[in-house]
Amino acid sequence: MINLPLQIDTISEGYIILATGLFIVFSSLILLTVFFKLGVPALLNAYKALKGLGKKNEKKETSVVIKSEKDFTGETAAAIATALHMYLNEQHDNENAILTIKQARKLYSPWSSKIYGTHQKL
Amino acid sequence: MKKVLIIFGVLSLLIFIRPVLGLNTTTKDTNSQGIEKLENVENQSFVSEAFEGIKQFYNYTGFANVTGGHLIMIIIGIVFIYLGIKFDYEPLLLIPIGAGVIIGNIPFVTGNMTGIYESGSVLNFLYFGVVKGIYPPLIFLGIGAMTDFSSLIANPKLMLLGAAAQIGVFATFMGALYLGFKLPEAGAIGIIGGADGPTAIFLSSKLANGVNILADGTTVKNLIGPIAIAAYSYMALVPVIQPPIMRLLISKKDRKIRMKPPRAVSQKEKMIFPVAALILTTFISPSALPLLGMLFFGNLLKESGRTERLADTARTKMIDIVTILLGVTVGASTQADIFITKDSLLIFGLGALSFVIATMGGLFFAKLMNLFLKGDNKINPLIGAAGVSAVPDSARVVHAEALKSDPHNYLLMHAMAPNVAGVIGSAIAAGILLSFLS
Repeated sequence: MINLPLQIDTISEGYIILATGLFIVFSSLILLTVFFKLGVPALLNAYKALKGLGKKNEKKETSVVIKSEKDFTGETAAAIATALHMYLNEQHDNENAILTIKQARKLYSPWSSKIYGTHQKL
Repeated sequence: MKKVLIIFGVLSLLIFIRPVLGLNTTTKDTNSQGIEKLENVENQSFVSEAFEGIKQFYNYTGFANVTGGHLIMIIIGIVFIYLGIKFDYEPLLLIPIGAGVIIGNIPFVTGNMTGIYESGSVLNFLYFGVVKGIYPPLIFLGIGAMTDFSSLIANPKLMLLGAAAQIGVFATFMGALYLGFKLPEAGAIGIIGGADGPTAIFLSSKLANGVNILADGTTVKNLIGPIAIAAYSYMALVPVIQPPIMRLLISKKDRKIRMKPPRAVSQKEKMIFPVAALILTTFISPSALPLLGMLFFGNLLKESGRTERLADTARTKMIDIVTILLGVTVGASTQADIFITKDSLLIFGLGALSFVIATMGGLFFAKLMNLFLKGDNKINPLIGAAGVSAVPDSARVVHAEALKSDPHNYLLMHAMAPNVAGVIGSAIAAGILLSFLS
């Protein structure tokens, strides 16, 4: 029954593709969502725990870092990043307006030198 | 300067006088009457030959071969360039494509290896990258190296909005089937709803390339040109298409919802993302490997922190070069005699519809998600519209639309999440269509 592709009309085949396609798109993105919602934090925690096993003293420090990160929102980060960007890349605007022209010293070139002329009479 | 002019003048005079002198000598030597006749004949044949030559030349010019179709397409090309310059609608795409449309529609005599469809011509070689789907993965590499996925990592549930907008792809696919297109052609047309130029070119070059032979023995139509032009022009028109739909579907109250700022994402998460997403998505949809593989590879180059040079090249020089080639050749592929058909008109109609449906799908799904979310976690339904990829234009449109109802509601960061999810979603959708239909 499945081996009769010519008898299935294209429209119904289209609906099959529609349903399965949407299902696959959704399921794959849901999978990604779940992975990043649950999987990645779990992985990172496990990594931290593994690291923490070796050095118990540093555990306190990490907890302190997390506390201070609570206030550190994206907006703060954006403000700092903007400030840094302005400082590093847009200093150009404050440049001195006085123009100076540097005299370039020409290198000697014998192309028009009189010494090597062909019309010279000795 | 004077000397040059004098020398040039003397030379040209000499060249002018020479035949006259030559003729004079012959008349001097022999009998006058017969020679005069001969001379007349010679003169006549000379004139007629010259005339023939000019006629021949005229037959080769554009003026002799021009048809209405060419003129229409040239005007369309000029409109593209005008839109790009005047309204700033994706000028990086519209200007190369517009110039390409003009290049492709200069009328010429076939057989001299001029046209883009004549094998062996220069344009044909450049077009090879489109026909074989080489350019799109390279563009995806650049996009990957440009894109910051952190807003998506911070709020993974927004990924679903990118999936919801793919309803546009499948709805258009069904629409195309109802209009009488064959299955592979319909698949290629449907992907316009993914609002992603490279993906559309990639899929149409695999499914509707004019080479593949269908089950019933007929060859598939070559629809790469119309599909690419439709996809890119509607992408450029996102700022026109989307806002009315947003205003229609989302109430004023909902438009003012403020979302809490996304949490800071650690570098480790950013590095894990491309690798994990690459493995997960391509295991599900291996046909999308060229697109997704390059996208996440590019992103890994960016986030690894060790390959800044490669990432920099990918997101600047390389993507620029490919965009130039892609734009011009896609534009030039709209040669009037191949492009102006009923199919192209239908594709344009379906394309507009697919953008509308995709936007609506994203918006409705965002509303649906809001039913399940509480308090602070509620999302602004407007960002659903960014689920159609069209990076980063649709995110910008969402941002601008939100600012109109509340001048302090900055949604750009939030809108980028469904926006990049849309890219992933449409690439997966392309992979599914490809595996079903090729």
